[in-house]
Amino acid sequence: MALFRKIKQKIKDLVQKEKAKKQESKRVRRAESQEIKKEILGAQEMAVEQTKFSHPETAPFRRTPPTDLPYQYDRDRMILQVRDPRWLHTYWEVAPPTIERLKNDLREDFFNAKRVLRVYDVSDIVFNGENAHSLFDIQVNEFANNWYINTQGPDRSWCVDFGLLLASGRFITIVRSNVVRTPLEGPSWITDEEWMIPDDMFARLYGMGFGLGRSSPVGKAWQERVRQVLFSGAMASPGMASMASPVKKELKQRKFWLLVDCELIVYGATEPGAKVSVQGKEVALRPDGTFTLRFALPDGRQVMPVKAVSCDKVEERTITPIVSRETKISI
Amino acid sequence: MLKGYLCLVLHGHLPFVRHPEHENFLEEDWLYEAITETYIPLISCFERLCEEKVDFRLTMTLSPTLISMLNDPLLQERYLKHINRLIELAHKEIERTSWQAAFQKLAIMYLNQFCKARDTFERYNRQLVKAFKNFQDLGKIEIVTCAATHGYFPLMDVCRASVRAQVKVAVSQYESVFGRKPRGIWLPECGYHPGHDEILKEAGIRYFFSDAHGVLHGTPRPKYGVFAPVYCKGTGVACFGRDLESSKQVWSSIEGYPGDYNYREFYRDIGFDLEFDYIRPYIHPDGVRINTGIKYYRITGNQSPKEPYVPEWATETAASHAGNFMFNRQKQAAYLYDFMQKPPMFVSPYDAELFGHWWYEGPQWLDFLMRKIVFDQDELRLITPSEYLAQNPRHQVITPSLSSWGWKGYSEMWLQGSNDWIYRHLHVASDRMTELAKSFPQTDGLLRRALNQALCELLLAQSSDWAFIMGTGTHTSYAVRRTKEHLLRFSRLYEDIKSSSIDPNWLSDIEYKDNLFPKIDYRVHQ
Repeated sequence: MALFRKIKQKIKDLVQKEKAKKQESKRVRRAESQEIKKEILGAQEMAVEQTKFSHPETAPFRRTPPTDLPYQYDRDRMILQVRDPRWLHTYWEVAPPTIERLKNDLREDFFNAKRVLRVYDVSDIVFNGENAHSLFDIQVNEFANNWYINTQGPDRSWCVDFGLLLASGRFITIVRSNVVRTPLEGPSWITDEEWMIPDDMFARLYGMGFGLGRSSPVGKAWQERVRQVLFSGAMASPGMASMASPVKKELKQRKFWLLVDCELIVYGATEPGAKVSVQGKEVALRPDGTFTLRFALPDGRQVMPVKAVSCDKVEERTITPIVSRETKISI
Repeated sequence: MLKGYLCLVLHGHLPFVRHPEHENFLEEDWLYEAITETYIPLISCFERLCEEKVDFRLTMTLSPTLISMLNDPLLQERYLKHINRLIELAHKEIERTSWQAAFQKLAIMYLNQFCKARDTFERYNRQLVKAFKNFQDLGKIEIVTCAATHGYFPLMDVCRASVRAQVKVAVSQYESVFGRKPRGIWLPECGYHPGHDEILKEAGIRYFFSDAHGVLHGTPRPKYGVFAPVYCKGTGVACFGRDLESSKQVWSSIEGYPGDYNYREFYRDIGFDLEFDYIRPYIHPDGVRINTGIKYYRITGNQSPKEPYVPEWATETAASHAGNFMFNRQKQAAYLYDFMQKPPMFVSPYDAELFGHWWYEGPQWLDFLMRKIVFDQDELRLITPSEYLAQNPRHQVITPSLSSWGWKGYSEMWLQGSNDWIYRHLHVASDRMTELAKSFPQTDGLLRRALNQALCELLLAQSSDWAFIMGTGTHTSYAVRRTKEHLLRFSRLYEDIKSSSIDPNWLSDIEYKDNLFPKIDYRVHQ
């Protein structure tokens, strides 16, 4: 009974969501034209491709929260995709009317049934629902709508059903996925060779008087040698992980650290129109006769003669601040 | 005597980021950084090589989104502002480091670099794509295309109409920009799914690239491994597999060249190092620190404090690394030549942004390498895939394996907890787009614009960059937002088109914002 209430509630929620979505999308239409979204992001580079996307870090700020995508599209649908030679990913959706129909047909059995993914090996056959080479079941919880599946092997074709496994052992398919094939995990065992030359190239060569048979000059022994070369340590492609992944340079040392540096700001004022030089180099004055200079201050002593000459070049004044810096590091 | 061919491939791509509604949008910086640190240095490198009559060969991808952005007047204008600000900063830095000779020298170096960047930019009338086109027309580089918005094809196999649209839109744009059809394509992330070569063939593309295991795990087994291309069974489209040996030397975080202690340290940028008030005008207006591009330190070592960068040492190191790379390829070629009884072909692809941006000395290395290969020896020859196929037309036929050059070699990077939720929506949107394309075989006016824009929005949502960023786990909110934004815009267009209630003002607004493919034809999505 509790389960029944739960499902009823879920359907109610879905309907509410639909209503809310419609209202929300109306509001978005108005809001979109006036949106001023500001997003500030953080800087933390990890790898080359990521460094293309480098930028700093702060919390995102949004004037208008983005509307969300729909929870589902109200149709019965199951899609299967390959992730790598052993893993598949599937997502599915069952439209509410379909659920209703099942509930009506099965009554109590529906609530006692387990939700199950049935994975079929359908390599090299036309699957009719019954003729899979083998199958295995994965139980999923009632709110799951996608799953990662660890298949039994590469280079096989797979199909998945989402359905109900009744207490009686009967399996009812609710929705069926497309068929996919996992790739090989290593080199193919098939070694027959086929050669070709594109038609237009061939036409050119033929015209030049070449005859091109399909003879392959390679004997079995040579193939073995090539295989050894290719799959020995020297040029092996396993270890793909490090090859394929982008460069991961040494991250900033995560140990505790401290960086300290010093700068010196030298500023002053004189009559507007005068000429000022610092350490012999001329310095631009602001219209009001003031100036500011900023220097990185390394260890050591800096002697800074500041000389000002009046605009009529009659008078001059020099003041020389002397600054020294030393740095002690204690651990 | 010719013992081997070397095909260097630089993959240039950035996702479409253009926010005319904001004056200063952080993510647009990705483009400006890449222009200053990668694309312009590469152009300068090619210019020098051409001037000095070095007969080099290089293959490059310029992805359609990158091309759109480089050709966009608003972004060009903003780039100019950006580089001017950097020039101003470099001037200030020269002043500030008056008492630090080692740093001041570097500040001057950056000032020169930035001025040169601005100068090059203006010299080509802000049309950097034309610069690359020139080199292609001179026969020195071959530019291949890439998917329209860098969609990841293996996870779009259930909606092949989208794969077709990604390819066709890219090919159309290429034709209008370069004046001829592209001969090759760089599949995003080298993501190959068996059967997609049919779509490439339809579009007139003759070759693509895959990671090593795409060829090595193909069926039947490739006789020459990755050292010769293979033709895809049924279509005859050529597949070039990546050579891992040469890749490792550049990419590897442990033994790769970019980690050498004399090279510039990426993580010590003055945007982060310097005092806040001083650097404030050059970082994000909200006070958030960002990279400026001015970095003063060299890698120095693992634990030690970083030492100032010495350009002369770095250049010498780049030259010696170039020599080392060439030497290794020569040895590799000689070895394989004996087995294969014909010269092997080494395909060495890299992200373009590796050169200059991440690995500051990268373009110098490339320059040295190409000169050395052309002048200092005759065993290795630089070549482009088209030239190679024209000279060596006969190859084995296999079906390459599903593969990518991403993390772990397959699709996990784009299909994991953080990003698997997007496919449910992308696939439905793709089906809906096909439905629209079929329902309206002929249209014009507002409806046609809406349909075209719907395809643009779908393509933008399909950018693999968003899933990638979500997968890395850092600053994912921008990527999530973009995915949702484009999907929601698409949904709205879909509903409006079906109910014949298109809002012309809203449509014009998003046409203006997402303007990357003005000549798109929605009917390619079927």
